[in-house]
Amino acid sequence: MGAKHLAVGFLVSVWRWFADPANWSGSEGIPQRLMEHVQLSAESVAVGAVIALPIGIALGHYGRFGNLAINISNVGRAIPSFGLLVIAFQVFGLGDLPIVIALAALAIPPMVTNSYVGLSEVDPDIKDAARGMGYRELTQLFRVELPLAVPLVMAGIRTSAVQVVATATLAAIIAGGGLGRFVIDGIAQQNYPMMFAGALLVALLAIATELSLSGVERLMVPRGLRLLRAPVQSRTTTSKAA
Amino acid sequence: MIRKLTSPWLLAVLAAVVMMATACGSTTPGTTSKGTLTVAGFNFPESSILADIYGQALSHDGYTINYKLNLGTRQVVSTAIESGQIDLYPGYAASELEFYNKQAGEATSDPAATTAKLNAHLQPLNLVALTPSAAVDKNAFAVPQAIADQYHLTKLSDLVPIANKLTLGAGPECKTNAFCLPGLVRVYGLHFKAFKTLDTDGPATRAAFKSGAIQVGLVFTTDADLKGLGLVVLDDDKHLTAADNVLPIIRTAVATDEVKTVLNSIDAKLTTVDLIAMIDKVANQHQDADAVATAWLQQHNYSS
Amino acid sequence: MPVGKFLSYDPWVNWAWLSTHVPLFESALQQHLSLTVFAVLGGLVISLPLGVAAHRWGAFRNPVLAVSGIFYSIPSIALFSLLIPYTGLTALTAEVGLIGYTVLILVRNVIVGLEAVPPEVIDAANGMGYRPLARLLRIELPLALPAIFAGIRIATVTTIGLVTITAVIGLGGLGQLILRGLIENFHTPLVVATVLSVALALVADLSLAGLQRLAVPWARNT
Repeated sequence: MGAKHLAVGFLVSVWRWFADPANWSGSEGIPQRLMEHVQLSAESVAVGAVIALPIGIALGHYGRFGNLAINISNVGRAIPSFGLLVIAFQVFGLGDLPIVIALAALAIPPMVTNSYVGLSEVDPDIKDAARGMGYRELTQLFRVELPLAVPLVMAGIRTSAVQVVATATLAAIIAGGGLGRFVIDGIAQQNYPMMFAGALLVALLAIATELSLSGVERLMVPRGLRLLRAPVQSRTTTSKAA
Repeated sequence: MIRKLTSPWLLAVLAAVVMMATACGSTTPGTTSKGTLTVAGFNFPESSILADIYGQALSHDGYTINYKLNLGTRQVVSTAIESGQIDLYPGYAASELEFYNKQAGEATSDPAATTAKLNAHLQPLNLVALTPSAAVDKNAFAVPQAIADQYHLTKLSDLVPIANKLTLGAGPECKTNAFCLPGLVRVYGLHFKAFKTLDTDGPATRAAFKSGAIQVGLVFTTDADLKGLGLVVLDDDKHLTAADNVLPIIRTAVATDEVKTVLNSIDAKLTTVDLIAMIDKVANQHQDADAVATAWLQQHNYSS
Repeated sequence: MPVGKFLSYDPWVNWAWLSTHVPLFESALQQHLSLTVFAVLGGLVISLPLGVAAHRWGAFRNPVLAVSGIFYSIPSIALFSLLIPYTGLTALTAEVGLIGYTVLILVRNVIVGLEAVPPEVIDAANGMGYRPLARLLRIELPLALPAIFAGIRIATVTTIGLVTITAVIGLGGLGQLILRGLIENFHTPLVVATVLSVALALVADLSLAGLQRLAVPWARNT
């Protein structure tokens, strides 16, 4: 029964799938699917960020509705991505729109929570000092509080981005593109090397996303500010939606 | 050391016990059954109905049935039955033949002959196909009425001059299905501009028609909603499709005489008209596949 | 002709249909709950010793965290499908995959929790004559409980979502109803199953939070 999948023989067939030039060209080749996947993910995180960051930052700055902001993460994690994608398909039909809407919805909670925590944990003494120095509210927010909150805000964006990249795999179930096509079509055609290759590509893309956004974060942390000791929740808050 | 009642370890054990108790649920002891059979279906409503019909008939006869409905494409289901994960699925004679013989082109419009050839290929896999029914469901290709009018399309051959402007939509298995893309190329010489992976005659295919993402799509001859959606089926003038009569594919190990009798008697009574009516109820009126199956069985005096 | 979308008259929740199909959702919920409970408990059983080992032997720590991070990025639908040839279309396949993911969540939290135990406490325990195993069970792990509980809550909520994906191997609990809603173009089972999945996750999260407050009264964690 498992003869086809003896580890070494299987990995050889995966290698052969990658080595086949036909899989690197055309509208169904790796570059095209990779680009579709990156595009879907980036759009979803961007849309999510546009909604989530102002909300989380505002809530954190004013110190309001803390419980809501923290618990929105719990609610967000509770939404099954499979169900959300199918609902989005039944509401919006085919194409990228339902996928981006569903993935953006999944991306919002970690960004709201982490930006809230980041802003609300800014030392009140520092905020006092800024006010004492004559900073007006918005200036204080942008010049003082946000730079201090960057590690957590970026952690939220990073968590969302990695989650979106992994979940975008499921878009193929509603006739979407991206690397998930290799996985879903691989299952449908019982082409295990293709399915494994697709999964591997998604995993690599997710890791690449994590690493590159960590790099961006390192660039953005203001000079003189060493790594904040982030609360246990955000450090270990790894969620998996797909 | 004296532990307080709220000691973490005690609570953890209690919680675990409570959770296991709720999770395990109660299993009612049943009367002795003749055995357990797992019945699977493809990922479209007609297959769920047929699997329910076969399963309920066997269940009425005293077998315990596990269902794995909407399991997937023929590739998925055949892998499952060959490895013994499932015991039975409702197949379509010609399509099964051209799948198990790797598109050798042996299927004809004669169900009996097709089934005999199918069994020749199934035998080394310890599978068997039983008697085909009169009910037939074949692949068909539809276009929107507007496109048919624009290019004067009535049959598949009419697509040849314009195929390179059109996009074909179907499920992922279409690329390797003898009665789909390879057949369109081989029998009609159709080379489409693009192929869009959607689903197997499901909502994604219909949505793609509506949005104009595809101009040609794979549908089934038992679909009742095509006219209402403004779709017209093109005639298979060169006879690509063959005898896709419904028949059970079952593992030889569980194909006892009794099981075979039950299943063959269903096949003797099943007609295409029945199929079309049942699928309409499930796919368009949202009735339950198992309820529709029960109604059919009762109507044919099979289950009391 | 249908109005608006390509779907025909099909309300998002057909209450009449729902009221006659309650058993369908009951059995789906039961399967869903059972898959989740075994996955989280199984994950705990594996990740507690694994986390303790990673914490105790420093060389182990980073590889464990790194490998778990990589595994985590593998789409679950692919993992379940790759397991089928070995473990079949069974709950075992679902559990191997699901436990794999719960372990990845929990082991991180066990490690972080143990690392958060103040060194002075360890010193004091050693001074009081605790041997390592007793110290672990009576001092370190209880102090690590807030982090471990946080992990259990995340693992439970995450697993409830992942269980829906096991519908591709003929399981799935509420996921089967989502799949049916997709294939039959039917809103109600899809919407209700999704909402129930969210509700189940929230109830589980709140219950675990309550349990945490009972078990770890000295530490408040949101």
